[in-house]
Amino acid sequence: MIEVRDLRRAFGGVLALDGVTLTLREGERRAVIGPNGAGKTTLINVLAGEIPSTGGAVRLGGHDITRLRSWQRARLGLARVYQRTELFSPLSSRENVALAIASRRGPYRVFGAPARSEQAEADTLLERVGLAGREGMTVHALSHGERRQLELAVALAQRPRVLLLDEPTAGMSPLETARITELVASLERSLTILIVEHDMDVVFRLADRVTVLHEGRVIADGTAEEVRGDVRVHDVYLGKAVTVA
Amino acid sequence: MLVAAAAAALITFPYWSAPWASRFATTVVRDALILAIFALSLDLLVGRAGMPSLGHAAFFGAGAYAAGIASQRLATDQLPVTLGAAALVAALLALVIGVLVVRSEGIFFLMLTLALAQIVFAIAFQWTAVTGGSNGLAGIGRPMLGGLDFSAPDSIYVLVAITFVLVALAIWGLTQAPYGRALIGVRENERRMRALGYDTARLRLSAFVLAGTIAGIAGALSAYSTRFVSAQDAGLGSSVRAFVTVLVGGAGTLGGPMVGSALVSLIERIVPSLLPTELRISNAILGLVFIGFVLFARQGMVGLGRFAWLRLRRR
Repeated sequence: MIEVRDLRRAFGGVLALDGVTLTLREGERRAVIGPNGAGKTTLINVLAGEIPSTGGAVRLGGHDITRLRSWQRARLGLARVYQRTELFSPLSSRENVALAIASRRGPYRVFGAPARSEQAEADTLLERVGLAGREGMTVHALSHGERRQLELAVALAQRPRVLLLDEPTAGMSPLETARITELVASLERSLTILIVEHDMDVVFRLADRVTVLHEGRVIADGTAEEVRGDVRVHDVYLGKAVTVA
Repeated sequence: MLVAAAAAALITFPYWSAPWASRFATTVVRDALILAIFALSLDLLVGRAGMPSLGHAAFFGAGAYAAGIASQRLATDQLPVTLGAAALVAALLALVIGVLVVRSEGIFFLMLTLALAQIVFAIAFQWTAVTGGSNGLAGIGRPMLGGLDFSAPDSIYVLVAITFVLVALAIWGLTQAPYGRALIGVRENERRMRALGYDTARLRLSAFVLAGTIAGIAGALSAYSTRFVSAQDAGLGSSVRAFVTVLVGGAGTLGGPMVGSALVSLIERIVPSLLPTELRISNAILGLVFIGFVLFARQGMVGLGRFAWLRLRRR
């Protein structure tokens, strides 16, 4: 579903991505882990088209999307959840989701309120992510955890084929983390998911395969068990995490 | 119902106010309504889509000149021709300027729109053969719609008032529709909108052209009303005046540009006559009022009204 070949991105002299290659088959759930500054968020930003790559190629479902802008990639079925909440603050939860739904039909509908079916679809999605009863509340009034849930609802409203999750549980309480994790776990198996995550419990719960990034390179790639046993991964990442803890 | 009654009252104002108000009152209200249409169109950019344009008068001026020149050159006073010419020329100009500016944001957008509008002003001021240059364009005919004659002061007022009601309704409908929501999305978080699959540059361009077209219609109404177009109509002063009207009234609201234009008209037309001659400096008063709103009431008169209403209800 997603093929990344030799992807590069330089910021000045720093190579944030130094030849990343990875392939996700349809329906695969892949976690990307690595220490801070490994290039994980850059990878998501480049895949989403928000930052242009300086080399390499990205294919989505067979289409070369390397040169496409982020909105064109979104139209082809790529949705993302940001690390920091990126929502439309003065709008209600329902309106946030409705904006994502409306993007599928195009914005140039100038008369009449959004269709009843779109409102209903938004409410169904909100209920699914655990925001039933919060439909009319503006983003301002939601807790941090609820905003993350809303982010997910907005991304799902795009009916994506590929979902990019950038630390969906960042800053959440253990309870909220567990809820989001189960929510992601319960998504359709046909949806391809790439998740960047620090919380190893979340990674091992969700991911079929794990890719380890370090200084912009893939240093390990395999099932969760294989990666757990990899010595180099321990050196750069898991080991350090243990020492720090 | 209430809206329909208010609209009917507004459109028939010269007839029911005749016993106690002067013709001057009709003129003041007429010009306030033209300013309101102009400000409503600018608010689509400033308030809804988050595009602070300081060059909106270029389209007002383009519409005014287009209506005037069309009526003179084509020797017709037919409203569909002159108003159509105004809307078309303003839309095309907005398309050209829009393509150049919509990818920039904030202060850069502001400066670019200002600079490009100044070019339009310079053309209007210098191209004497077409625009009359510094003399302006005088003696513009009052419009006809088929056999319907809008040449009397009261009937030109009715034309302006009907247009105002139609524009206000259209903008209200727009803001309720998915299109209006999408503009708010662009204002609040353009990056997120792109991630949702919106071509935001095109969305901003469409808003720019739409706002420019409505401003052009306001310009045409101004040309019909005063029977005169001046290069100043397309100048910076005119842009700033619309901008101040939006902010003083309350950006991003339907009522804001309307009450803003009422306040600005009051300050420009009524207040000076109540003051001693040496204090008749309406621009300075307007400036002070504007500073007051920027410092103490960012949400404009509509915001003040909401605040007062909430206070009253809490009691």
